[in-house]
Amino acid sequence: MHLSDDDIVRSISAHSPEGIEALYDRYGGLAHTVALRILSDRGAAEDVVQESFLAVWRRGSTFQPGRGSLRSWICTIVRNRAIDRMRGDHHRTRLDTPIEGESIEPAVTDPWVAVALELSGEEVRKALAELPAEQRQTIELAYYGGYSQSEIATAMEVPLGTVKGRVRIALDKLRTSLADRLETPWQTQ
Amino acid sequence: MADTMSHEEVTDLLALESVGALEASDRDAMESHLATCAPCRLVAAEYADLASLLPAALEPVPPPARLRRNLMAQVYAEATASPSVPWWRRLIAAIPANRSFTVVGAAAVVAAIAFGIWGAGRTGAQTPVAYMVSGTTATGNLDVGTGGTPAVLTVKGLQPLPSTKVYEVWLIPPQGSPKGVAFLSAGPDSSAWTAVVPGSLAGYKSIAATVEPAGGSPTPSNTEVLSGQLGGS
Repeated sequence: MHLSDDDIVRSISAHSPEGIEALYDRYGGLAHTVALRILSDRGAAEDVVQESFLAVWRRGSTFQPGRGSLRSWICTIVRNRAIDRMRGDHHRTRLDTPIEGESIEPAVTDPWVAVALELSGEEVRKALAELPAEQRQTIELAYYGGYSQSEIATAMEVPLGTVKGRVRIALDKLRTSLADRLETPWQTQ
Repeated sequence: MADTMSHEEVTDLLALESVGALEASDRDAMESHLATCAPCRLVAAEYADLASLLPAALEPVPPPARLRRNLMAQVYAEATASPSVPWWRRLIAAIPANRSFTVVGAAAVVAAIAFGIWGAGRTGAQTPVAYMVSGTTATGNLDVGTGGTPAVLTVKGLQPLPSTKVYEVWLIPPQGSPKGVAFLSAGPDSSAWTAVVPGSLAGYKSIAATVEPAGGSPTPSNTEVLSGQLGGS
């Protein structure tokens, strides 16, 4: 049976273990990919994913439909925890290249999400590739690298305001390119 | 904090926030504005959704199966205090994640059987059923308690495994992929192995066990060491 995101939220709100199970099956793979990209350490990434889903289980759903999709909510939780962990680890070396997939047994994932990601992955890569290099690099440093605005400014040797501008312009371009993939209707200009 | 920011300024911060680049020093101002500005909350949702597509550009790295099992073992363990969680799931949660034989694991199996018997007496439910399972060297029973759950698989004649391997138990539907449901735990002398099989057996035609890497596999990767038909008895 395919549960909708709303079904999953209701189940989590009812403090049902099955709700967490469904949330993990749908977004665990995505969460792991994000955490691993930021931390570049399999053990740390697994810890962060487990801590993130346990936090959802323990607190219940704090998801607010008006603040984004379920996917963006869990991505944000995992990203924030991964970045917190990374910033607490002064010995970590940041990765500037994509992590190559290693031979590892896959977990069960929601086929609906897998198909959706497969389809959108190429679109997102294409949209990113179409950005000017400095905008793409800014987004990559921020989202995939866990760099803050000031860290990006230092790394790219530009003023803080330039970073701010590049992020917003880049996102506005991505919004146009990926409009068909957005769950929240974009009403603002 | 007084909200002195314009929508334009907040939109810049929301864009930074969506990709995780917002400085902590700017967060309070942004949140203060959002608390009273519905249009900017909408912008926040839009940026968050857009940013949530960015992971799709990464080469997916599936998590190991053990991550799911460890997570759910912890969740069910913590759910033991919750009366909304079925008692048999609480019992299963008491079994350690690595499923190696321990006093707790053994106690859970014994308790599962005891609860099953107690439940039968209490509810007057259907008569327990035992299905035969067998392999080249192994024989055993899958004892189904009243109400259909939990079933307890007891097997003799299996060879001891190194710590890097487990016997994983699968329920096999008439069509589709087998579902990994449990690991067999060895008794002190490895003469008998047991596993609590959670959930209903309805909709499955057979049960089997295979040798898998520690932590289990998403699908059987080796020849079954035992199997048995379900139903029809």
